[in-house]
Amino acid sequence: MQFRFEKRAEPSRTMLYVTPVAAVLLTMVLGAIIFTIIGYDGIGAVREIFFTPLTNSLKWQDLAVKAAPPLIIGGGLSIGYRANVWNIGAEGQYIVGGLAATGVALLTQDMSGWWILPLMGIAGIAGGMAYVAVPAFLRVRLKVNEILTTLMLTYVAVNILNYLVFGPWKSPTSFGQPQTVAFNDSQSLPYIIEGTIVQAGAPIAIIVALVAWFVMSRTMFGFQVTTVGAAPKAAAYAGFSANKTILAVLFISGGLAGLAGMLEAAGPFGRMVPQFPSNYGFTAIIVAFLGRLHPIGVLFAGVVLAITFVGGEVAQTTIALPNPAVGIFQAMMLFLLLAGDVLVRYRIVRAGATGGREAI
Amino acid sequence: MSIITRRTAIKIGGAAAALPLIGSRAFAAEKVRAAFVLIGTPDDNGWNYGHDLGRREMIEALGADKVETTVVTNVAEGPDSERVFRELAQQGHDIIFGTSFGYGDAMLKVAKQFPDVKFEWATGYQTAPNLSIYNARFHEGRSVLGTIAGAMSETGIGAYIGSFPIPEVVMGINAFHLAARKQNPDFITKVVYVNSWFDPPKEADAARALIDQGVDVITQHTDGPAALQVAEERGIIGGFGQGADMSAFAPKAHLTSIIDIWSPYYIKAVKSVIDGTWAEGSSWEGLAAGEVVIGPYNEKIPADVVAAAEAVRLGIIDGSVHPFAGPITDNEGTLRVEAGDVIDDGEFWGVDWYAQGVEA
Amino acid sequence: MSATLLIAMLITMIGASTPILLAALGELVVEKSGVLNLGIEGMMLTGAVVGFAVTYTTGNPWLGITIAALAGAAVSMIFAFLTLSLSANQVATGLALTIFGTGFSALFGSEYTGKPLELFKSIFPASLAEDPYLRLIFGHSPLVYFSFFMVFAVWWFLSRTRAGLILRAVGENDVSAHSIGYSVIGIRYGAVAFGGAMAGVGGACFPLLLTPQWVEGLTAGRGWIALALVVFAAWRPLRLLAGAYLFGLIATMELYTQAAGGVFRIIAPEMWASLPYLATIGVLVIISLGRSANANAPACLGKPFEAGH
Repeated sequence: MQFRFEKRAEPSRTMLYVTPVAAVLLTMVLGAIIFTIIGYDGIGAVREIFFTPLTNSLKWQDLAVKAAPPLIIGGGLSIGYRANVWNIGAEGQYIVGGLAATGVALLTQDMSGWWILPLMGIAGIAGGMAYVAVPAFLRVRLKVNEILTTLMLTYVAVNILNYLVFGPWKSPTSFGQPQTVAFNDSQSLPYIIEGTIVQAGAPIAIIVALVAWFVMSRTMFGFQVTTVGAAPKAAAYAGFSANKTILAVLFISGGLAGLAGMLEAAGPFGRMVPQFPSNYGFTAIIVAFLGRLHPIGVLFAGVVLAITFVGGEVAQTTIALPNPAVGIFQAMMLFLLLAGDVLVRYRIVRAGATGGREAI
Repeated sequence: MSIITRRTAIKIGGAAAALPLIGSRAFAAEKVRAAFVLIGTPDDNGWNYGHDLGRREMIEALGADKVETTVVTNVAEGPDSERVFRELAQQGHDIIFGTSFGYGDAMLKVAKQFPDVKFEWATGYQTAPNLSIYNARFHEGRSVLGTIAGAMSETGIGAYIGSFPIPEVVMGINAFHLAARKQNPDFITKVVYVNSWFDPPKEADAARALIDQGVDVITQHTDGPAALQVAEERGIIGGFGQGADMSAFAPKAHLTSIIDIWSPYYIKAVKSVIDGTWAEGSSWEGLAAGEVVIGPYNEKIPADVVAAAEAVRLGIIDGSVHPFAGPITDNEGTLRVEAGDVIDDGEFWGVDWYAQGVEA
Repeated sequence: MSATLLIAMLITMIGASTPILLAALGELVVEKSGVLNLGIEGMMLTGAVVGFAVTYTTGNPWLGITIAALAGAAVSMIFAFLTLSLSANQVATGLALTIFGTGFSALFGSEYTGKPLELFKSIFPASLAEDPYLRLIFGHSPLVYFSFFMVFAVWWFLSRTRAGLILRAVGENDVSAHSIGYSVIGIRYGAVAFGGAMAGVGGACFPLLLTPQWVEGLTAGRGWIALALVVFAAWRPLRLLAGAYLFGLIATMELYTQAAGGVFRIIAPEMWASLPYLATIGVLVIISLGRSANANAPACLGKPFEAGH
């Protein structure tokens, strides 16, 4: 009996929603089996990584904090990916956004006022946009592949950060350690839920997702982005400018990455340190794909990924599961989701002995 | 290590649901529970190994019926660590050791939220009512290494490989170099920074670059045996283990090592929790308290050199030798410390210059 | 600078360049077939830990390298199956492969951390391999000679063989290649497997050529430099050799100038570290400005191929 793929005329709506859930469930099953075989508590690993963060209410605030940056960045990236524009250097734009906000904080060190945080936010967005401007310009003017330029610039951003915190920005009061001074109260995000550690990042992440959803599904711009990505010729015929779309989505993704950088710097970090790059820019790429480039899907994906991060730490302390196991779970989840993609676009057809075909 | 069963995990979650989200200790343990947060894994044969060894010796000394421990590995500095510290506090640990400088901001925040839990910040610089800091005088060990290097080097050129120019590294270089110059007044110390927190292949190449330029004694301020293995391969006079005995990696080149012994401090700190006498404090002990220990001397070191090294070691212990006794001139010719004066503990962290003869 | 110091520096430079060169050669073939695999770092880490484990257990570095190549090829098949058979997105799959390789190598390698190994040194007699001058020719690890050989092998394959022509055609225009009867997917499977094997050998260079130990994350980001290098070399094997040595020279110079003392301290270390990446962007711009050179970038790079549609 032979199976083969047959392309669907329309992507399957059912599969679109079923496959991500199936990927997560299958990851749990396979993960439990694999980790049991190699000598760990496989079922315990799945329980701690995927369920404890949800059942233990103490972990909810951690999820909110950990999910926010990749959600904000992933929301922007997914719009760009829809347009077939591959900014994979959001980590660099996140760093530069954080640095721009820090720059404002250092200039307003002795000041206070409500206006400082918004100014830092604007600086963060501008920083992220400025950092993506070079790849954007090269892409539309010279058709330089943005995958490569954005990635290369990420490593340059890390070096800019190191240069600043080891050099001109080094705090005079932290015993020569490479870090800036701590931000003052006017430069730090307030806690929005009394008694928790949840700052502005989480609600902003939700707002970003909702706005992105509205823009992508209800506005002309969203239609334009999707058309340029899926059918560039039709887009040109319809009078959409591919270059303008590319610029717009790159600046959106860069600006959001920069905003995420500002929110992390002024939030959980509270100062600029060499450890600021937290891989959120890369995590966001996974989030965008797990969420199927759909703003609301991204929202769920971001939370799922945050669960695995937080749960991985729980599993370490409770069942002594080694830290790298989390990476294997995350990779497996992504592999399975990407494999499931095929079911959205294709149906499996069985070529029977009678010559007839049965669709599954 | 503590294993939390499914039942207790549910108990934590259930009990916590009734508490404010920040949570407090959900249950009281009969034993004192101590947690250790590591930036790497205990098998690194260096910094993390030392802390884990200290933990094990502490359990042995106090008895497994009195104390139980949890170890969390590979915890990134910054907000990720904040989550781990909170998790450990919520699980009911009585005392939590954070063994990296970059955990400080997170520990200070969490300590405020859990006033009943004691926090201990290794290499930190700021205390709180329930947060103590502890460090070791590694530079005292560097004086012993420098003595051996100065006496044994045939080229008169030694080397020091560091990650980044932070104060502890700068003072390690000065201690090493000043001791070497007592043996050989023309001794030169070449410094190479690899400018990366973790890059063993680059450390090995740094050792090659130094040996190719006449260095025949090498020491490093980075974890791992990379530089020492190059010393062995090239057959130079030797190098030194950092953090732990590394003679297995370089039986011929391994002259001796600085071994971090954290158990005296860990025993003292945990015992004070058991006795209810824990108090905010700052500990900075060295050779005298047995927190910095010089490993076995390689057989190839001549007896008179061992004697000189031991004289420095014993002199530091009894106070007759000071690693930073004046006169000290810096490498630009300025007299920094008058004869008869020393660099005291308060001045230590502010030093941003190298002694005469250091090429950095 | 004396001649012997120059030779010593060149030898260090060649060592530092070799793993990047090997991994980049593999990726070059992958990209020439029209596929972009961002999982180099993950495949290199897999090769590094497997190369260490096999060499440590058997004492035979040749076997270690061979198994490392097979391990690299094996994990690359995850990528190949997803992107080629199932047309999954290459960027996402490549990143997932790096996450997987990082986690796998850390988990699998934990029992090998803190164990010493012997370097895989020159197999020439010591009179040649340790001569202050002749060692520039005879003093290298077999891995280095292998990397030279592979540069010319890949160059010869791509530019002088029919199979190489077909592979390039597949990367240039998959639809036409398919329509004249070539198996686009089959050829790309082969290219990805080759890329995985080369990344595996590149990874094995870390414990066998550079620092004889295993520790989590040993490759320290070299996979991304290899990716940059392919672009920097404008997808040309001989230029790849020059580019790898240039990148190696930048990394090595930083260390040698520091060791030489203050004289050369003009450029900030952060600038040094950024140079390979900035240079790569510069090359991309130059390629795009020159019309003829542009033809060398595979036109189908990163785009999935769906037969019959």
